[in-house]
Amino acid sequence: MARFRDKKRKVFVKPIVQKKLGAVDHVTGDKIPKSFVFSRGKLPGPLRQLQMDLRKLMLPFTALNLKEKKRNSLKDFLNVAGPMGVTHFLMLSKTDASPYMKVARTPQGPTLTFKINEYSLASDVAQSQLRPRCPKDLFKNPPLIVLSGFGTGEQHLKLTTIMFQNIFPAIDVNTVKLSSCQRIVLLNYNKDTKLIDFRHYSIRLQPVGVSRRIRKFVQNHQIPDLRNLQDVSDFVTRAGYGSESEVDEEAATVTLVSNLGRTNKASSKSAVRLQEIGPRMTLQLVRVEEGLCTGGVIFSEYGYGAEKKLDKREDSQIEDSDHEEDEDDSDNADEMEEDTENGNDD
Amino acid sequence: MPFFWSCSHYVCFNLSAASRYWDNSSSMTEETSIAGSGGVLRKRKIGKKKSNNAKKKRKVFQGTGEKVKVDRKMKKLFRKRVKEYNSDDDDDDNAADKSFPNKNQGAYSEKNGYGTRKLGADKLDEESELSEGEDDDENIEVLPTVTKFAEGCRAFRIAFKSIIKKSALDDVLGPILSGQKKLVAQKLAEEESEKKLRGEAKKEKLLIGEKGHIKPSNYLDSHEKFLIGVATKGVVKLFNAVSKAQSAQKGLNPASSKDEKVIKKRRKEAFFTALGKRSASSSDTSAKVVASGEPPSWAPLRDNYMLTSCKLKDWDKMQETPEDEDVGKSSHGSSSDDD
Repeated sequence: MARFRDKKRKVFVKPIVQKKLGAVDHVTGDKIPKSFVFSRGKLPGPLRQLQMDLRKLMLPFTALNLKEKKRNSLKDFLNVAGPMGVTHFLMLSKTDASPYMKVARTPQGPTLTFKINEYSLASDVAQSQLRPRCPKDLFKNPPLIVLSGFGTGEQHLKLTTIMFQNIFPAIDVNTVKLSSCQRIVLLNYNKDTKLIDFRHYSIRLQPVGVSRRIRKFVQNHQIPDLRNLQDVSDFVTRAGYGSESEVDEEAATVTLVSNLGRTNKASSKSAVRLQEIGPRMTLQLVRVEEGLCTGGVIFSEYGYGAEKKLDKREDSQIEDSDHEEDEDDSDNADEMEEDTENGNDD
Repeated sequence: MPFFWSCSHYVCFNLSAASRYWDNSSSMTEETSIAGSGGVLRKRKIGKKKSNNAKKKRKVFQGTGEKVKVDRKMKKLFRKRVKEYNSDDDDDDNAADKSFPNKNQGAYSEKNGYGTRKLGADKLDEESELSEGEDDDENIEVLPTVTKFAEGCRAFRIAFKSIIKKSALDDVLGPILSGQKKLVAQKLAEEESEKKLRGEAKKEKLLIGEKGHIKPSNYLDSHEKFLIGVATKGVVKLFNAVSKAQSAQKGLNPASSKDEKVIKKRRKEAFFTALGKRSASSSDTSAKVVASGEPPSWAPLRDNYMLTSCKLKDWDKMQETPEDEDVGKSSHGSSSDDD
């Protein structure tokens, strides 16, 4: 009998069930947008870190451990993207001038090219803070997105807003649980400098009207030291000092619908406190193309033909910088892998 | 002839000394060979044809065996050379000339003894003493004729000492010959320059890689505060909308007939607005509409499922987004794309 024969005791291993990310959002009925974050060409150290940070930012609907090889071209990524339901590509690349980030919609969508003027890594941000905060399931839910300053009405700005809105899955106001909104991505456009500030914050709710000591006590479950007090009322009513960051304006308070943990109860006021996590970037929109890294140039910051951006790869993804602005007769838009020679303008 | 004899003996002495040395070593080897028969043969690797001892023997000049006529001049020359070789003896040249031919034999024998005694004592004083004691008739102390192996040893020792003294000064390169010194110095200089170049190239590469990378400051910048304020406003807006929608929903959920009517009404409104035009302040109104419409949670149950077509193709014809902010994305396909 098998029971007697197998002497070794088999250890019961609980099978690891990985939550499958559906392709379609059950609530809204829309397709959940998924993304790939990868690099084009070999990136130096800090930029590789930035790529990892961006991948974490895009969680959970992205490939965290995407492995790319030198010989992978854009076509390979496209081929994989189709069956997996990936809708957006975020590509990082670097030239001597500065690093660039391209946001593109697969399979044929427009491509936005941003020049990264400045960036800071998530680790730098955490180091600069006194109390960096990273709860363990911070990246379980997709972030919210806030776009501000884009309302000038220009075409490329509109496209930018729509592109970024589509990268993250939609939020249904009716059914969303407030506990699942833990992160927020902010894109702020500055009209004067034409720079876009990219920030990533974590959301924290704090009950308003409760003194600091009581709040800490409830949160941390640490028994306070009552040696010097005569009465418990001393502990409760003692006026604690308020730190600078705890200045709660009326604008920051919300009334919660549901209970969020022990401290934030429903129908009581809570303050929204944001703490920065994740990478910080200053972007400048440089170019918008109709196709996926190909196609007609819809917008170009420096005027058509003057931009000399070379890709490191010798593949077919060299943009044609000779197209005029607002050219709509894009025969090339539908063909992905056209070998457009990049004529370097002198 | 005595000179000849001496000179030849000089040579012969060398030979004899060498042969004596050789004999010693050979005897040793013989012994070893006796001990391990054929061991000597076996010790030699196959293909190794030379042997050190054979080499030594070969190098020693055997002598042609001819009688060489030596003139007086030649004799002088030889004597001079010998004296130079025997550098640390303070001798009298003149005396040597005279007494040399007569006392050669004796001198040699005396030298022999002297040499052996010299092995023990290394001082000049002793030398002169001994020689003086032995050679009464002669004026000179030591005959600079023969350089024994022992004395050669001494001379070599002194030369070696002087080299070591000199080389102790060379701290960097150590005791090496001067020609080699130059080469080594060159090599070191080359290596250093190479290292410098490589270091510089690496530094440059690192700088290029770090371009654009800045470390954020510890305190909150005013600009950062402004940005956090903007984000907070957005979050607050969203949360308020959520609370409005969900509290409204909460209130009307129980299945009472009155509420059902309200629900129907709202759903119709939502349906129509979703079908047709979108108002200017899309997010606010859509939130309102959604709140009033109160559609079922699961999308396919809603009336406006798959009816709205907002593809990205028509993005330029879409309505303007509100001026200030666009919070999140409201549901029912405000800007979804079906590609």
